Amino acid sequence: MRVCAGTGCLAASGGAHVVSVERALGVRTGACSPDGAVSLQEVRCVGYCYAGPAALDDDLPCAGPNLADQLTGKSPRVDPEVPVCSPGPRLLLREPPGSRAWQIWQEAVSRPGAAAAIRDEVGRARLRGRGGAGFPAASKWSAVASHPGPRFVVANGDEGDPGSFADRLLMERDPALVLEGLALAGLACGAARGFVYVRSEYPRARAALVRAVASARAAGHLGADVHSSGVDFDVAVVSGHGSYVAGEETSLLRSIVGLRGTVHPRPPYPVQKGLSGRPTAVNNVETLAAVPGIVAAGGAAYARLGDPQETGTMLVSLGQRFARPGAYEVELGTPLRTIVEDLGGGVAGGSRLRALQVGGPLGGFLGPDQLDVPLLESALAGLGVSLGHGGLVAIDDTVSRDRLLAHVWRFGAAESCGACTPCREGTRRGARDPGGASEDRPLLSLMEQASLCAFGRRLPAAIRSLTALRWN
Amino acid sequence: MEITVDGGTVSVPDGSSVLTATRTAGADVPTLCHDDRLSPAGVCRVCLVRADGELVAACVTPARAGMVVETSDEEIADHVRLVVGLTIETLPARALETPSELTALCARLGLGAESFAGASDGSRLDDSHPYLSLDPDLCIACGRCVRMCDEVQGTFALSLVGRGADTEVCAGDGGRWVDSACVSCGGCADTCPTGAISTPPTAVATRTTRTTCGYCGVGCTLDVHTRDDRVVAVTPDRGGEVNRGHACVKGRFAHGYVHSADRLTTPLLRRHGELEPASWDEALAHVAGRLGRIRSEHGPDAIAAISSARATNEENYLLQKLMRAVVGTNNVDNCSRVCHSPSAVGLSAAFGLAGGTNPMEDLDRADMILLAGSNATEAHPVVGARIRQAVLRGARLVVVDPRRTELAALADVHLRGLPGSNVALFNGLARLLLENGWADLDFLAARASGLDDLQEVLTQLPLERVEEISGVSRSQMRAAAQLYGEAAHPAIVYGLGVTEHAHGTDGVRTLANLAILRGAVGTEDGGGVIPLRGQNNVQGASDMGALPDLLPGYQKVVDTADRRRFSEAWGVPVPPRPGLRIPEMFEAMRSGRVHALYVMGEDIAQTDPDSTHVRAAIEECELVISQEIFLSETARLADVVLPAASFLEKDGTFVNFDRRFLRVRPTVTPPGSARTDFDILTSVAAALGGDLGVRTPAEALEECARLAPLFAGVSHERLDREGGLHWPCRSARDPGEGRLYLDGFATPSGRTQLAARPWLPPGEEPSTEFPVVLITGRRLVHYNAGTMTRRTPNADLRPAEQIDLHPADADRLGVGEGDPVEVTSRRGSLVVGVHRTEATSPGQAFLAFHFPEVPTNRLTSEAADAQTACPEYKVTAVRLRPVGPAIPAGGAG
Repeated sequence: MRVCAGTGCLAASGGAHVVSVERALGVRTGACSPDGAVSLQEVRCVGYCYAGPAALDDDLPCAGPNLADQLTGKSPRVDPEVPVCSPGPRLLLREPPGSRAWQIWQEAVSRPGAAAAIRDEVGRARLRGRGGAGFPAASKWSAVASHPGPRFVVANGDEGDPGSFADRLLMERDPALVLEGLALAGLACGAARGFVYVRSEYPRARAALVRAVASARAAGHLGADVHSSGVDFDVAVVSGHGSYVAGEETSLLRSIVGLRGTVHPRPPYPVQKGLSGRPTAVNNVETLAAVPGIVAAGGAAYARLGDPQETGTMLVSLGQRFARPGAYEVELGTPLRTIVEDLGGGVAGGSRLRALQVGGPLGGFLGPDQLDVPLLESALAGLGVSLGHGGLVAIDDTVSRDRLLAHVWRFGAAESCGACTPCREGTRRGARDPGGASEDRPLLSLMEQASLCAFGRRLPAAIRSLTALRWN
Repeated sequence: MEITVDGGTVSVPDGSSVLTATRTAGADVPTLCHDDRLSPAGVCRVCLVRADGELVAACVTPARAGMVVETSDEEIADHVRLVVGLTIETLPARALETPSELTALCARLGLGAESFAGASDGSRLDDSHPYLSLDPDLCIACGRCVRMCDEVQGTFALSLVGRGADTEVCAGDGGRWVDSACVSCGGCADTCPTGAISTPPTAVATRTTRTTCGYCGVGCTLDVHTRDDRVVAVTPDRGGEVNRGHACVKGRFAHGYVHSADRLTTPLLRRHGELEPASWDEALAHVAGRLGRIRSEHGPDAIAAISSARATNEENYLLQKLMRAVVGTNNVDNCSRVCHSPSAVGLSAAFGLAGGTNPMEDLDRADMILLAGSNATEAHPVVGARIRQAVLRGARLVVVDPRRTELAALADVHLRGLPGSNVALFNGLARLLLENGWADLDFLAARASGLDDLQEVLTQLPLERVEEISGVSRSQMRAAAQLYGEAAHPAIVYGLGVTEHAHGTDGVRTLANLAILRGAVGTEDGGGVIPLRGQNNVQGASDMGALPDLLPGYQKVVDTADRRRFSEAWGVPVPPRPGLRIPEMFEAMRSGRVHALYVMGEDIAQTDPDSTHVRAAIEECELVISQEIFLSETARLADVVLPAASFLEKDGTFVNFDRRFLRVRPTVTPPGSARTDFDILTSVAAALGGDLGVRTPAEALEECARLAPLFAGVSHERLDREGGLHWPCRSARDPGEGRLYLDGFATPSGRTQLAARPWLPPGEEPSTEFPVVLITGRRLVHYNAGTMTRRTPNADLRPAEQIDLHPADADRLGVGEGDPVEVTSRRGSLVVGVHRTEATSPGQAFLAFHFPEVPTNRLTSEAADAQTACPEYKVTAVRLRPVGPAIPAGGAG
């Protein structure tokens, strides 16, 4: 059994659920029952932040305040669907899901010059990566296409930011949209093979993708010589192994080929030397899901949505403490207060909002007085916070700041891949002494400047955003 | 490009890292996870510098033209101290007990024992392996060992496991080290910066001597660390030109035999049937007296000598000079007779010179390697690892071998031909090259002869017939030919699986044909034909003229002018008639034509084929002198035993497999009254009333260089100054030729000669009575007769010989793993435990001859290559029969 120790579930239960599950099962986390029947592991996160606390019993998700009872069979299992809402244009949450699937691909694949045309439209759309780094998708594909083949495209479905469930929703609700986006990316890059890397905590997403790949193959959308176009493109679905850092592209690519998901220095960048040393484009699931719409309606139409600098829509995830939790497709640039108060309805049950976690534990925290900021990476950066993957977790009085600090450090220590010293040892110190480490300026400075990847580099800012909050 | 480092400007090549730039500038940027032999990892973050204002890890940051780098300011210093402090605070203070890169760095930063706060009782120590131990509590997860194992050795035995602060190295699947895939090259311990992986503790060395390995013919440069005249450790020279900081379980670890208590320390004379200690004066007088009497009674040709591919060039030069100039006979041969004489003859005939055509470095640029008859990862591990790395880099590999060796398993195509089918297979490949347009017709027209004759032979050999002879399918042959035919830089590497056959010279010639057809030899692109020599100085022993028909530098005994050059220099006439080859010597000993045999450093009773016959020859011979470091099987039968020195006690040179002269330097003194072969030969000559005319090894090589134009530019002094030198090296200014024949072949016509050789059946074929084909060869941890390796902890890694059998054959015999079988050939039999493995084909078996308890050469036959008399070690017909109870694990058969 995998019990979620992400921020969403922490906020939902005040952190009590892990202990109650341990007691109910009679097994400590990280251990196994004496008869070998039950083992219990903490994971970060299972993507049920809107209904936490949550857990996976083998591959079956269940969630709710009575989680321990569900796991011991005293209460019926509940696997709540994600509430979805699109107050504006629907690009990612098309209705019904799967409608017009593969149409764009079928047209594009036989069209001469389609690869350049796709890159042009996506470039015109100014589509940026939704995984947190915000790199322009078209530039990445042009770079991949400029290196000699064979080339690969990879959909990064390792949505690990505790607090976000957008990618899980996309992969489960409309897997064909993600796959079609991946296929179009493949065409744009000149790649004949695509991979979807799905985190192991998303068994339903994996199953949905595997089914969608099979039916796409059966319909002739994938395989050799697709629709007699002379284009070969096929997709394999690959499972992760429970590591947050495997969402970082160099570790993700290592994980796909069966190596440990640890970070490697860049350059060389994956666009030049990626999977098996070949040029590879790694794009987030949500980024790819936007591509069929952009190719269909043109990049200019997409660029008119959102902010001129950060265009389009984003799927924002609102956690369980909101009055109306769920996934909201909003235009970038929407004021955060609108999302939190108008869409989310503020904190449920009249509790007081103490802090808002944005973009997972590495994104950082805002106070209730800091919500008059547009949902834009650039604007949030001014507050020391990173938009990340758009997960918003409301923290109310049930969690103290010290608890939250300890949580962030523990998350860091548990998920640091261990490759570089500043992150590996810095998070170890932080988990041991969260208060001390949070005030240790040399340590935070070292982690921020000298860590190998964004994981260790981002953590100090998140810590500082939290210590800077006025809690009273 | 130009970079500014700490205010000064340095120029570095494109593609350099910032670390290279800082080093070029002389800035001392510390590192922990960096090793020049490995790809940079950028994980320890100790090499922090400021590049264009940004703090970066220098080792993984590419330098850019115009970049401004600062290596030290207060913030960098604080960061480095903190990052090292974080690294060590979980380590126990005993990390300071053994000097390491980490302790040096801590000393530099002023971090003492108080900074080491880890609790560890040492209970996790894994000391299951005789040479390598793992103390995970000292691991800092830098991954150097893992990269060494992956990128240099290519074994992938180590990995980092765990996440975050729990990350540490483990061997194999996390069980005991000794049960992992580790091949004991020692690279991990060599690179480990903390002592987490270490070799057995030794006394601190007081002297380090650089020398060349005395095991196989690769020619690894080693640093031998000594104290109180004892070897305490051996490490590979990181700048070694052939091995580049790599070594194998033999070169690096198997040195303990040098100080073995049973080293021969005094001469022995047979009196009343027993070998008894004697003084050097007695022994030399005895040798001189009896040799003198035999010479005067039966003539100089009644005396023969076997020189040694283990001894130095200078000693080989001396022994042939002793025989020719003092005794007066050409009866001198060396043990390359029984391994690579077909290479010398075959390569000379094809190209002009008796050596490989290309240097080791050419394997690095090869995009395709055809490896024939060589289990390189076991027999020549450093070359094997280099081939493995080439394949991992993307080079294609075709392996021709009846066994599924490690490299065969890695190959694109494995041509698993039946033993004895080489010539047919190579001819089949030649046919495919010609038929499919993969031959370089321009090259053939301009630079080769013999195409018509070759085509005539190939017409007689349809591929169906090759299939029949070799058991290899046409499609496999075609795939192999295509890979060789279409590669840009194809290289051929081969071993004793090509030469040790009844038609070994034909094997070499027909293999060389492929390189000629493809224009892949004597050109800038081609990787040529490279023989892997079995022993350290197989090339050199022949180069020095320890051959019955050739004088030093491959000058001919039958050539009047060549002979005169030596006669004049030595002041005595060199006899005009070629002498006896080793197998002919044994015959002559039995028929009474040879009355005395002088054997230097070869255990003929264990390693030569049909050892019953060899033993009889020794016993029937009037005088046998064995010059040895141990009481070998041959020494036990000898009349006189002279205690000699090992390579670690000698001054001189070896020539490795790619014709490179490399220096050998004494690291310790020989035990007791043992002497170097050089000294013994000088004394024997003196006792016979002769004078070899040279007092030191340097003088001997100098004399050889004066007389042999191929080596004219080689001297100890120059080797000491410049490092290894390839021959031909015709003058003091000639840099030596690694890649041969770019301007023409060394044949009389200047053209390379294709060989038209039909396939002929092996000397011995399986029959109803002897249905199994026995192949012989080498095991990773042992070497030749095993006299050296068996006296080291290598014996713990493989304590006994077992016969490799396919499980189907083992099942048919009803024998399980370790069960004893009796193996019988037409000449003898032995009992040995069974190892079941699919690496051996059904109907075949494999044995090494490293253990006297399993006298494999009792089985092998007198069949030999018609042209060179090289024995057919690779094909022996045997039958197997289960016997008695199981042999306990570790016990001898």
